Amino acid sequence: MENRKAGKRMRLLKTYAPLYLLTIPGLLYLLINNYLPMLGLVIAFKDVNFSKGILGSDWIGFKNFEYLFKTSDAYVITRNTILYNSAFIVLNLIVAVGVAILLNEIRSKLMARFYQSVVLLPYLISMVIVSYLGYAVLSMDTGFLNKTVLPLFGMDEIAWYNEPKYWPYILTFIHTWKGAGFLCVVYLAAIIGIDQEYYEAATLDGASKRQQIRSITLPLIAPVITMMTLLAIGRIFYSDFGLFYQVPMDSGSLFNATNVIDTYVYRGLMQLGDIGMSSAAGMYQSLVGFVLVLLSNYVVRKFNRENALF
Amino acid sequence: MNASKKWLALLLIVCLSVLAACSSNNSSSGGSSASSPSAGSQPSSGESGEAYELNVAFPIFGAVPSNMPEVEKAISDIAKEKIGATVKLTPISIGAWSQQSNLMLTSNEKVDLIYVSGTSFTGMVSKGQLLALDDLLGEHGPDIVATFDPEFLKATAINGKTYAVPSNKEMAVDYGLSILKRYIDKYKIDPTSIKTLDDLDGLFKTIKDGESDLPAILVPQSAGISFLASHRWFDPLGDSIGVLPDFGGGLTVANLYESSEYAAFVKKMREWYQAGYIMKDSATNKDNGNALILAGKGIARLSNLKPGYERQTSLEYQEPATVISLTQAYATTSSVASVNWGIPYSAKNPEKSMRFLNLMYGDTEIINLFDWGIEGKDYVKKSENIIAYPEGVDATTVAYNLNLGWMFGNQLKSYIFEGEDPDLWKKMAEYNANAVRSPALGFSFDASPVKTEYAAVTNVINQYALPLETGSVDPDKILPEFIAKLKSSGIEKIIAEKQKQLDEWKRQNG
Amino acid sequence: MNHNREARAWQWGGHTVLLIYSAACILPFLLLFASSFTDDKVIMQSGYSFFPEKFSLDAYRYLWNESTDILRSYGITILITVAGTAFSLAMTSMLGYPISRRDLPYRHPLAFYVFFTMLFNGGLVPTYFVYTQVFDLKNTLAALLIPGLLLNGFNVLLMRTFFMTTIPPAILESAKIDGAGEIRIFYKIVLPLSLPILATIGLFQGIAYWNDWFNGLIYITNPKLFSLQNILNRIMLDIQFLSTDPALSAQASGSMDLPTASFRMAIVVIGVVPILLAYPFFQKYFVKGIAIGAVKG
Repeated sequence: MENRKAGKRMRLLKTYAPLYLLTIPGLLYLLINNYLPMLGLVIAFKDVNFSKGILGSDWIGFKNFEYLFKTSDAYVITRNTILYNSAFIVLNLIVAVGVAILLNEIRSKLMARFYQSVVLLPYLISMVIVSYLGYAVLSMDTGFLNKTVLPLFGMDEIAWYNEPKYWPYILTFIHTWKGAGFLCVVYLAAIIGIDQEYYEAATLDGASKRQQIRSITLPLIAPVITMMTLLAIGRIFYSDFGLFYQVPMDSGSLFNATNVIDTYVYRGLMQLGDIGMSSAAGMYQSLVGFVLVLLSNYVVRKFNRENALF
Repeated sequence: MNASKKWLALLLIVCLSVLAACSSNNSSSGGSSASSPSAGSQPSSGESGEAYELNVAFPIFGAVPSNMPEVEKAISDIAKEKIGATVKLTPISIGAWSQQSNLMLTSNEKVDLIYVSGTSFTGMVSKGQLLALDDLLGEHGPDIVATFDPEFLKATAINGKTYAVPSNKEMAVDYGLSILKRYIDKYKIDPTSIKTLDDLDGLFKTIKDGESDLPAILVPQSAGISFLASHRWFDPLGDSIGVLPDFGGGLTVANLYESSEYAAFVKKMREWYQAGYIMKDSATNKDNGNALILAGKGIARLSNLKPGYERQTSLEYQEPATVISLTQAYATTSSVASVNWGIPYSAKNPEKSMRFLNLMYGDTEIINLFDWGIEGKDYVKKSENIIAYPEGVDATTVAYNLNLGWMFGNQLKSYIFEGEDPDLWKKMAEYNANAVRSPALGFSFDASPVKTEYAAVTNVINQYALPLETGSVDPDKILPEFIAKLKSSGIEKIIAEKQKQLDEWKRQNG
Repeated sequence: MNHNREARAWQWGGHTVLLIYSAACILPFLLLFASSFTDDKVIMQSGYSFFPEKFSLDAYRYLWNESTDILRSYGITILITVAGTAFSLAMTSMLGYPISRRDLPYRHPLAFYVFFTMLFNGGLVPTYFVYTQVFDLKNTLAALLIPGLLLNGFNVLLMRTFFMTTIPPAILESAKIDGAGEIRIFYKIVLPLSLPILATIGLFQGIAYWNDWFNGLIYITNPKLFSLQNILNRIMLDIQFLSTDPALSAQASGSMDLPTASFRMAIVVIGVVPILLAYPFFQKYFVKGIAIGAVKG
């Protein structure tokens, strides 16, 4: 019995050995680049002192984590981080899938290529530059809105960088504008990969475009959508630092609307420069994301095992 | 299940083996650095044989000058002859500095001498990144010791041990206004009649009324800096979280933001802002004050003054400037120890590091190589200590343009540029000697016992200080909110800790 | 008839939406481009504008003065981008394909091993320690190529999902029956069928390498090894630094030349234009029906 089993295992291994061989460089790289440095997470529980060495430093339990919770801002930063990211996930999904489907429908090759290049443009510009562009529009003294648009409607100047109430919309807009192009290309690649025969058959059966999209395109790119969404959920406690730090120009008056975990950590540790506390923040963010992903993946598995990530 | 368990096991084994490798690596390098001081003190490793290469790391504010290798070579030649060591300069762009220097120290890379900024000094000491220098200073740093008033050298001591050496430059600072001179002339203003911040009201009003086209008068000194940073009446005790409210001699730490002086200051800023004296975008500005003035966004800024400032500003404004001092010159730990040099804990040959540092305070040749580059190429001598650009070379084309005299050791021994006051360094020495000294001069605060509160309070200050101190928001509404939030974030705990450390410091320093 | 009208409606609607969307993407970019040709004082006085009040080539002239550094950094960036993208595509597909195979034993744990790396990371300090102390990469070209960028879990999973959904298992079966080995199948059948995803990931990796400044910031101190983005980003970081250390920036205000507004824009332009030029190369593979054609042929 044991022998047969071992024999079968040997055969299996032989069949699949070439495939496992293919994975080796990638797995090795992840080991070095990602898994090895994870050992450094012990720093989060240490009071690092270099004269004692990292491993020799004193253990201090969860003290490095305290500053994330023992502050009156804890609620604001957690709320902002989650709400923004949730909005981003939903909006990105709608916009990116929508644009990808439209792009796929465009018949003119030239225009299709033009659109495809253009949607990616915002993705190529760094957030610092986006912040300058935003400033060009929103500045008190010289901004396009205050100097050109608002006077047209006979409205008074608005101190954009002092008024938190506008910023949830501004940030959401900028994020979608900047990120949707990238996701759109991902979805487009998936849509392009769909076998054309499905559509040909559907057209013959007299299905309308809407029906085709609903019953062919969307189901077939569902795995990609699921994956992208799960990934976004996994990073729900992280936020785009540039978006929340650079774009509002680090303006204190806006913190209630713009302060997220990453910016809070950055500002809090600017002077202290404590690597224990910064790795504690990273660990907290990862852990929450990890739990959320496991949960959502579990839910996805319930509905459709194929679409689940693992 | 079985499969994943196996994977985990494998992973664990690999990780453990690496951990073992890492830790042995760590301990070995730690061991060698611990033993190095004794090795260094043996004369056998001295001048004879292969010269030791010192890696000197410091930040620069722009691109690496093209002539850097030549300067490095010239410094090395002198150092080799005098102390048997060569020098490798590692300039790092200031934007990358804090990250790169931190990583270099963290992973025990070879650095022998390192620039230490006043803001990161205590943090580096409490993290154990710097070597205590007292013995080395006594043995190998005679020129350093001779350079300083002992009270100034103590500014970089923590718990009685010196961990860094400040650069010798202006050790104090007075605060005032630097304004385009043509406006002072045009409105026939007598600069000597202006003595306080309140006196500026009249000046600003006259100019504003006369120049309706002017978008504003006052611009910030630089990106992200409030006007309070250039107008101080208190000793910030490092970080302005808990300050000495005046220089009268008392050692009671107080909350700056609750004080009536602070309230009056932000109220004044608000008045100015509403009267149109202050640039509207001050709180979100991303440009240098000089550039703003050159572009006509304003005509003046509050500034940190020192001897020779008028000429420096006139060069920056590209037209004559008038400088009006509004405070006395104060010497605090922050002003003395703003720019320092330290020896990393992991330095392999601290003795050589110290001996080279000593040259940076005593050897005129080395100082001027750092400050001005190669004679004949980057500058020519006009007289004993006056220099100028060589023919056909100017500030924009010179091959060595660091302009960091205030960083490299003893600036008071560097040459003076033509057009500058030839007695500048004499005046500087007097300025330093006559400055009002804070009773807490020499005290440095270690925030690590209260770091939880510190992170929270830093955030609150980031949120409120800049808008308030640039007049962008209404202090009647925002200041009470600010104070309340500071309290709920634990500022009182930080102040109590600071008081405790200050009392302890006082006890030690009598 | 009905179908024709519907199709036309889709075309019209599609063009309208996409044109508006494109405008939103292009206009800011044009603004940036125009600003790089605007006189600095004008920008500071009246802000950015599509139509320069005062045309100026100063920013580009300044860049030209630094052309030896800039050209060298272009060279390094191109080298790293090409090599990095090639290695990265190879490794990503080699890892993505096996775990896409539904019949592969242990494929779920393997996928999890990949996925886990996307959620947790050890942080900067340990990573730096590994690459400088365990592998001596500081101040080498490899430091621009390897850390963080070479392979990321996201791309692997993207590739896996693509293989799973678009490569019909039947094709693999029939190839196997014809006697082809696994590796041969991978190269001769799977990869050619996957050009759209290879082009997508190639594009992403290309952009990631082109735009990367972080590795340079961390691992490179030798100016001879600076990549283009490295030079550009250092300038931006210098500005950000100013607000973090008021005392030092007051001290350094005389020594520090902040780049002017038009210069900041010009360096963005010279950084982005090459990507735009390279884009059509990737786009070539974004063609519908390529998969099906390959199978039939």
